[in-house]
Amino acid sequence: MDCGKPLAKGGKAEGLSGGGSTPSKVAAVGGRLNGHPEPPEWPAQQKAATQWQEERTRSAEDNQLSLPSLETAYSAILKGLGEDPERQGLRKTPWRAATAMQFFTKGYQEKISDILNDAIFDEDHDEMVIVKDIDMFSMCEHHLVPFIGKVHIGYLPEKRLLGLSKLARIVEIYSRRLQVQERLTKQIAKAITEALQPAGVGVVIEATHMCMVMRGVQKMNSKTVTSTMLGVFREDPKTREEFLTLIRN
Amino acid sequence: MEITKQIVSADMNGLCCAKKFVASCLEGYGDLTLEPPVQWKEEKKRGGEDARAALEEAYSSILRGLGENPERQGLLKTPGRAARAMQFFTKGYQDNIFDVLNDAVYDEDHDEIVIVKDIEMFSLCEHHLVPFFGKVHIGYLPNKKVIGLSKLARIVEIYSRRLQVQERLTKQIAVAITEALKPAGVAVVIEATHMCMVMRGVQKINSKTLTSTMLGVFREDQKTREEFLTLTNH
Repeated sequence: MDCGKPLAKGGKAEGLSGGGSTPSKVAAVGGRLNGHPEPPEWPAQQKAATQWQEERTRSAEDNQLSLPSLETAYSAILKGLGEDPERQGLRKTPWRAATAMQFFTKGYQEKISDILNDAIFDEDHDEMVIVKDIDMFSMCEHHLVPFIGKVHIGYLPEKRLLGLSKLARIVEIYSRRLQVQERLTKQIAKAITEALQPAGVGVVIEATHMCMVMRGVQKMNSKTVTSTMLGVFREDPKTREEFLTLIRN
Repeated sequence: MEITKQIVSADMNGLCCAKKFVASCLEGYGDLTLEPPVQWKEEKKRGGEDARAALEEAYSSILRGLGENPERQGLLKTPGRAARAMQFFTKGYQDNIFDVLNDAVYDEDHDEIVIVKDIEMFSLCEHHLVPFFGKVHIGYLPNKKVIGLSKLARIVEIYSRRLQVQERLTKQIAVAITEALKPAGVAVVIEATHMCMVMRGVQKINSKTLTSTMLGVFREDQKTREEFLTLTNH
């Protein structure tokens, strides 16, 4: 998925393609962020952003190759915490923790186009499609601690529909990485946009961050909500309201 | 004393499987009135700066091993943050039960059940280093001595902020209260969700693990146990 490619014309995705006449980096990345003009540093940020678009930075072989170094690192962590890595409960923990962490970041091994290519269907449907309450488990990239929650996705098709489970698979690919909730939301929305060119996409994520619950401020009941609205969801308040009402019930 | 030797040679997280100790736990706890095992009193030494640096390096290497770029903006300070977070999640090793409890045990002529329930608990699974969290319900039947209520929550904190196994955590809390108060009975129930089961492996999102430890009258007398379970809505 190339973030720099402008979206196909012919879709009603005006909000997504930005000002057509100004060939700026803004148009290249497909629109303004939440209605604000791009900050001057955008090119550098764009680089960081596209980094996330690069898929398959890892393969199954890489996993096997890096397992020993991960195990050594976890062994060092156990020792650094003052524990005894030789005791029965901890003997295989470096291996288990390493494979668990590789599982939690398996999104780096997957590619959007692999899962989506054959599940896009031509259908003359122009009403909102919503898949809500998709359980999401991700890792906070700042503390390497899980954050968990639900994703609600809605899109307004433009002659093309996506297999419903593919929405959940897109969530899986992007959430099984070291993430920041805001970026996760945007990536999911962009992936759907690029795959389908719909009239609009809305993604809302509601999550609990263990880094806030288990440490730091220790606020147990706090939830973080982020949303990305593209296309008609951004432009038309009624559509957005319909989406938000439907996911609330 | 043989028990103490056995226990000191056991691992540092206070495994309650030194045989004699378990036997006395099973019988109510006549023997526990003897000198408490050293482990409950020991403070574990934790290296200061060196340990932090070693942890940071380990986390750096983990980031690289996962195929990430540790130089990008979001990950630059992550090894430091993750190291500090992990030290916080295992701060229970540095805490000492007797420091927390020594002054909050009061003589009181009360012989009805005292329950503190819905104590939030966050711990780390020692097998996968992934959090598990839930609620702890504690009940005890005092025998002329009561304990400050928040101290029950502090006991939970001390033992849960370690690399744990839920069964052992339950038992350690029960035994700590027993040792501090010598009550007629202690009951501890923990209900937790294990991220190692939810986020990976079998991926069962709604599963909960329930463990309980009943000592003294809670083990012997069914009616007392039932009262405790009813009052904690189980």
